[in-house]
Amino acid sequence: MWEFLDSIENSGFATYVRDTPSVLGYSTVLAFHTFGMAFLVGLSSVIALRVLGAVPQLPLKPLKGLQPLIAVGFWVNAITGLILTSLAIHSLLRNWDFYVKLGAIALAIVALQKMRRHAFADTNAPDDAAASPRARFWAGAMLLFWGVAVLGGRLTAYATNIRIETARAVLVAVVLLLLVARYLVRRANRTIMEVRV
Amino acid sequence: METFLRTWLEWPAVAAFITRYTWAWPLGETFHFFGIILLIGGVGLFDLRLLGVARGLPVAAVRRLLPWGVTGFIICVVTGFMFVTGVRANVPSSPYDVIRSNPWLQLKFLFIALAGLNLLTFYVTGMDRAVDKLGPGEDAPALAKVIAAASLFFWLGVIYFGRLIPEAL
Repeated sequence: MWEFLDSIENSGFATYVRDTPSVLGYSTVLAFHTFGMAFLVGLSSVIALRVLGAVPQLPLKPLKGLQPLIAVGFWVNAITGLILTSLAIHSLLRNWDFYVKLGAIALAIVALQKMRRHAFADTNAPDDAAASPRARFWAGAMLLFWGVAVLGGRLTAYATNIRIETARAVLVAVVLLLLVARYLVRRANRTIMEVRV
Repeated sequence: METFLRTWLEWPAVAAFITRYTWAWPLGETFHFFGIILLIGGVGLFDLRLLGVARGLPVAAVRRLLPWGVTGFIICVVTGFMFVTGVRANVPSSPYDVIRSNPWLQLKFLFIALAGLNLLTFYVTGMDRAVDKLGPGEDAPALAKVIAAASLFFWLGVIYFGRLIPEAL
């Protein structure tokens, strides 16, 4: 098994991407991995924000049109992720944080599919209709899993104690930011309701 | 001028904070990525709608996402400021020397400036008012499409050059 993984890590392609002095090697693959993440997580998060009621003015049904771009983001991420894994397959497979990241991505994809199914189920719902509680649950779960996946991806290069300290710091910062965001969204929505009245 | 910039850009407190608290740098990196996600989700989707993606969305409604995109940009600026002013925690160079010598960082700054100028063009040419009236299924004017395509290109360029910065450190 390890011999097979060795042959992947030492293949001509992996060696070129890892060792070439050209910027078109490792850094460009990493940049495309970031593009994929930005489109996959960014656009699916827009649907989640609408489902959760953070942007109620956005009609839900047309957001279905984002699905092809979300799929492109996923496949760019998956392909570049496989390439990046092949460059350091030994160390990554012995890194527990790598499994946390992969697990979080898998759960986020499941949550995305469930959110889509529940959010777009009622084709006759008016544009400004609130999403179902189930759709809201899966939207929240998806955002949580994407957050863990991004954090896990960032922390693969760090030692275990730094990972744990950083995870705690991120948790505290996210909770504080969410409280501020919740206050701002509620205030903005209240202002819109007052203007309508 | 050089002395002024060399002094102004050096924030020993930031570098000391990053050295003292090992979670500070990865925390900044994580939030830099959260910022990118918000930026592409907000500003990127607005550009994509003008280019004809998800045409069923009225543009005025998509505009409601722009504050999320701006929030993402602010998060990126704050964390980016931390990376530059506290760079001495990771490499034995001053922020001024890093900015002077790193072509990728310079290109990243240039593309941020170009994205800003592009946004200014969007407002100066009146395209902001023109696209606001676009309902579901309606096509954006050609100039608005050019500006939207340029915006996406510049922001993806900013991400790309940002990823290349360690190559020249």
